[in-house]
Amino acid sequence: MIRFLVRRIPSVALVLVATSVIAFLLPRLVPGDPAAVVAGPDATPETIAAIRTELGLDRPLVTQYLDWVRGLFTGDLGQSLQYNRPVSELIGDRLASTVELAVLAGIFLVVFGIGLGILAGSARSRWARVLVEGTNTGLLAAPPFLVGLLFILLFGVAFRVLPISGEISVLENPSIGIQYLLLPALALALPMSAGVARLVQTRMLAVRQEDFIDLAVSKGVSPRRIDVRHVLRNSLGPAVVAIGIRFGDLLAGAVVIEAIFARNGLGQLAVSGAQSSDYTVVQVLIVGAVFIAVVGQLLTEIVLAALDPRVRLG
Amino acid sequence: MTKALPVPGSPSDGAPVPAVEDTAQQVPPAGRSRRPRGGGAWSRYASALRTPKGMAAAVLLVLLVAVAVLAPVIFPGGYDQQARGALQGPSGGHWLGTDEFGRDILVRTVYGLRTDLSLILTAVPVSLVIGTLLGLSGYLSKPLGAVTQRILDIILGFPGLILGIMIVLVIGTGWLALFMAIVIAGLPGFGRMARGGLLSEQQREYVLAARVLGVKRSTIMVRHILPNVVDPLLVQASVFMVVAIFIEAGLSIVGLGINPPNPSLGAMLNVGARYVQSLPSYVIGPGAVLLLLALAFTLLSDALNQAATRR
Repeated sequence: MIRFLVRRIPSVALVLVATSVIAFLLPRLVPGDPAAVVAGPDATPETIAAIRTELGLDRPLVTQYLDWVRGLFTGDLGQSLQYNRPVSELIGDRLASTVELAVLAGIFLVVFGIGLGILAGSARSRWARVLVEGTNTGLLAAPPFLVGLLFILLFGVAFRVLPISGEISVLENPSIGIQYLLLPALALALPMSAGVARLVQTRMLAVRQEDFIDLAVSKGVSPRRIDVRHVLRNSLGPAVVAIGIRFGDLLAGAVVIEAIFARNGLGQLAVSGAQSSDYTVVQVLIVGAVFIAVVGQLLTEIVLAALDPRVRLG
Repeated sequence: MTKALPVPGSPSDGAPVPAVEDTAQQVPPAGRSRRPRGGGAWSRYASALRTPKGMAAAVLLVLLVAVAVLAPVIFPGGYDQQARGALQGPSGGHWLGTDEFGRDILVRTVYGLRTDLSLILTAVPVSLVIGTLLGLSGYLSKPLGAVTQRILDIILGFPGLILGIMIVLVIGTGWLALFMAIVIAGLPGFGRMARGGLLSEQQREYVLAARVLGVKRSTIMVRHILPNVVDPLLVQASVFMVVAIFIEAGLSIVGLGINPPNPSLGAMLNVGARYVQSLPSYVIGPGAVLLLLALAFTLLSDALNQAATRR
């Protein structure tokens, strides 16, 4: 496993370095002087010069980049141009909200994705399969924001049983917090879990045709045991991969879901940062998002190897 | 991304037209009857539209495009005409009610559809062409193809919305940012598909035969390889239309879309979500049109896919 991780370092590093360079260059791609853009239309030349010094724009590009990367590692993320507060503080304030959303959505993604897939893949009765497949297909086409809008229509207008906007921290007040979290997390997870479910289902149907299933049947293994021990275990690999590669989508979806359900998380911070050219904040968020996506994929490969002894890491 | 793009067929090729005629003589007649030239592809796509799915897609699309194109004729007042009351419920005068400035929601939905269509119908073809050229660049030189593939992989690593946020950060909100977000988000899909087609077609006997016969490389690309990668690319383009609609909507819903007062379906959903409890039609109207648009292109891609795999 350690050998595997070492072997993967170059490609992971390439993605991270490329991302950090892109994120670093973003404000410098802006036509014109970034300092002037940041300062606003009616800034004096002195203000612009001061901002240029503060952003470090007067130093060589490579030095700027190295300083910035060092800041990423040491937690010195610079000053937000929009709020005039340290970026690390802004992110710290909103981190919990997004983590709560992502964790619950991740749990839903695993439970519903694999659960629906198993239901559809092992349903003996025809109508059950058609029902589950219908739900899957319906959800597969819908992006998270459509499900979110549907939820606020359903629960904001028709059945007012769950709150559709705002948030309360789950850590501070679990019973109320979870009510605010439920709909956004569901809206985020359901469309993605449909994709996972479809994979599990098709894989289960394929595995059922394998010779070792025939062998198990002729040995007299009970159908339930065949489903669990033989079919399911051999069907989860693609699902794990599918969940792993959806880490990035989960984060991107969280941005939209936060906007729809009026949650004040990192996505909202990124959006307001993009709207007001708050480069220092958005740069860090982009690198963070890609970092999490890459780590997610690495974890995926490790879980995959744990599930399937034929897959060797290293 | 904007480095000199390799154009298949162009390098050191002064007269492509006679070259094509040469090839036509060299291809055995049997091959010609199996895959008719020119008109064949079109009639195949036309047959896709005669299936029930294709028919439904065509009717829906024609209807939506007609409404969008004729918007200034149907609603000559324009999209920012204000009525007396703001946030009024649906009534005879305003079928979907009025928005926070007293503007008719139905009118704005139709003009929003116009914005969406103008966006995806320009951005997706541009993405298709650039992505295909990038994917086929491996034909010119292997290292170039490998480098392009790496770049496309990196783009693929960014979820569409984060890509959009980056673009907005650089050029600000507006039509151009949405356009670029859609174009760039589509490149990996088109590029990989074109490259996959190129790699598999390059190994086929007829391409090897053409090379042995001394047919020019550019002619092989234009005459033999390109026609065989076009089908999956067109299906991918119609699939990506749906993705493009959702990119517009996603970016607009978070507030990074078209600048007000211009309407787009996503931008209307952004504002409408705030008033969902008092005025559900503000979300239902644009949302339904968005779904119809997505449905039309989903049906179209299904029909095209069937037609492309049937032959």
